[in-house]
Amino acid sequence: MEIDTGMEQEINKAAIAFSLTSALWFALATSMGMVAAGYLIAPDFMANIGWLQFGRIRPIHVNLVLFGFVTPGLLAAAFYYVPKLGRTQLFSQKLGVYNAILWNITIAIGVVTLSAGYTQGREYAELIWPVDMLIVINFALVIVNLVMTVRSRKEPILYVSIWYALAAVVLTATTYCLGNVIWKPSSGALVGIQDAILLWFYGHNIFGLLLTPLSLGVAYYVIPKVTRNPLYSHSLSLVGFWGLLVVYTHIGTHHLLQVPVPTWLKVISIVDSVAMVIPVMVFLINIWYTVKGKVGEIHADVAGKFVFAGTIFYFFVNIQGSMMALPQVQRVTHFNNWVVGHAHLGVLAFAGMTALGGMYYVLPKISGKPLYSHFLADLQYWLVLIGSGGFTVVLTIVGLIQGNAWLNGETVYRVLPAIQIYYVLRVAIGFLILSGAYIGLYNIVRTIFFNPGAKA
Amino acid sequence: MYFPYFIAYMTAGFIISILVFLWALKTGQFKDQQRARFLPLYGDVESEPARTSRLNRIGAYVLFGIVCSGLLASAVFVLFVLIKSSAMNG
Repeated sequence: MEIDTGMEQEINKAAIAFSLTSALWFALATSMGMVAAGYLIAPDFMANIGWLQFGRIRPIHVNLVLFGFVTPGLLAAAFYYVPKLGRTQLFSQKLGVYNAILWNITIAIGVVTLSAGYTQGREYAELIWPVDMLIVINFALVIVNLVMTVRSRKEPILYVSIWYALAAVVLTATTYCLGNVIWKPSSGALVGIQDAILLWFYGHNIFGLLLTPLSLGVAYYVIPKVTRNPLYSHSLSLVGFWGLLVVYTHIGTHHLLQVPVPTWLKVISIVDSVAMVIPVMVFLINIWYTVKGKVGEIHADVAGKFVFAGTIFYFFVNIQGSMMALPQVQRVTHFNNWVVGHAHLGVLAFAGMTALGGMYYVLPKISGKPLYSHFLADLQYWLVLIGSGGFTVVLTIVGLIQGNAWLNGETVYRVLPAIQIYYVLRVAIGFLILSGAYIGLYNIVRTIFFNPGAKA
Repeated sequence: MYFPYFIAYMTAGFIISILVFLWALKTGQFKDQQRARFLPLYGDVESEPARTSRLNRIGAYVLFGIVCSGLLASAVFVLFVLIKSSAMNG
């Protein structure tokens, strides 16, 4: 093995562009989330400003987090580790940079159209047809860049992170077309119950076939690097990869257990939701055994601890998810804030923290400059960790209050006074995440553009 | 009519998955797994391992605390649901 200084010679402009994209939209996404949370305390908060209505802000927040913050952050890491693991160069830095520019234009158009009231009204699929098409084009460009990079590799074996990165972008490009019913541009929807089935097939797969594989790819790369340990088992990681593809694709209908969906489909979704424990534990056993004896080192490295915390939250979000698919449990947990807590646990605490870890790991290498401030990155870690944990606890409590009350036949409005205080707490905790997002944006911008500690 | 799209998607997905799997078999992706474990470490070793401190260890304990409290809360919740549902059924 050769020794180097931890800095790469080539400046990876594509990865830099995607890192900046992620940091910028993370700040804006959490700002939108704060406005939305404000409405839950004071429903007439900004009531006269049409484009800031709750019904518009909420989908903007969700889409910004999914496609503005987490996905570009994870892709930034992928643009670094795919060529590194293949012992080659990225196919085209120029294509990657144009891709990032188009990505930002797409997200900006999405925000403007949603705030202007143009929506297809389906959860996670609100964006109108032209924006849908732009998203598909963006994913197609990522596919071209990564596949061509893999084709030119010198390392014959594809490390598991490459499998995950390629699967994520290829599967999402196709699932996105299907889930957004792009052959029906005017509505972006089918009619009747089959639309609900299709929507939740897509909706859950945005997490299962995009954020999860990209996050696992980052974890499988960053954890061995930070601990300086080889991966515990590469065979096991491939079992987890194929297991995830087989199992995860069938579970979307567990969102529809209370509606007249064919029973066989519900049974498949419940069985596979529980079976998700297999690929999840395969991943976690593999990663945690790789970390074994190096927990201190992981926590001494800001990127490592972001990613490691992400794996802890991955454990919880999946245990919770398997449990929530059980009909008896769902009688309490469905249609209330429990699910919102679950979503924050998955998207922010698991995939979001992993994306931040991935970016902090690659930033010094892709820019050729040291991280501007380890203190700020550390501060962001604690803000996001406490914020994510606090969010989950508060929203879970609210969900249990709501679910239990409704199960006992209580009307909605009589429950509202009981949960008001938790909504106030939610905003307070949200400020931690908001602060973390802006601190991260500052740190990343300073690292790339105004870095006094830059290497000549 | 919606199911032709579903069937087309499932068929394409199945065929592509099989083709990729066969390609992986043919190109030896499942061989030499021992070497594959080391792939992230090839080419570079970081300059200095990060130094651990008391604060880092506290960070690890905090995460461990989150794990324990989360597991405990999950167990209590499942118990709650089971008791509740058996009371309602009974």
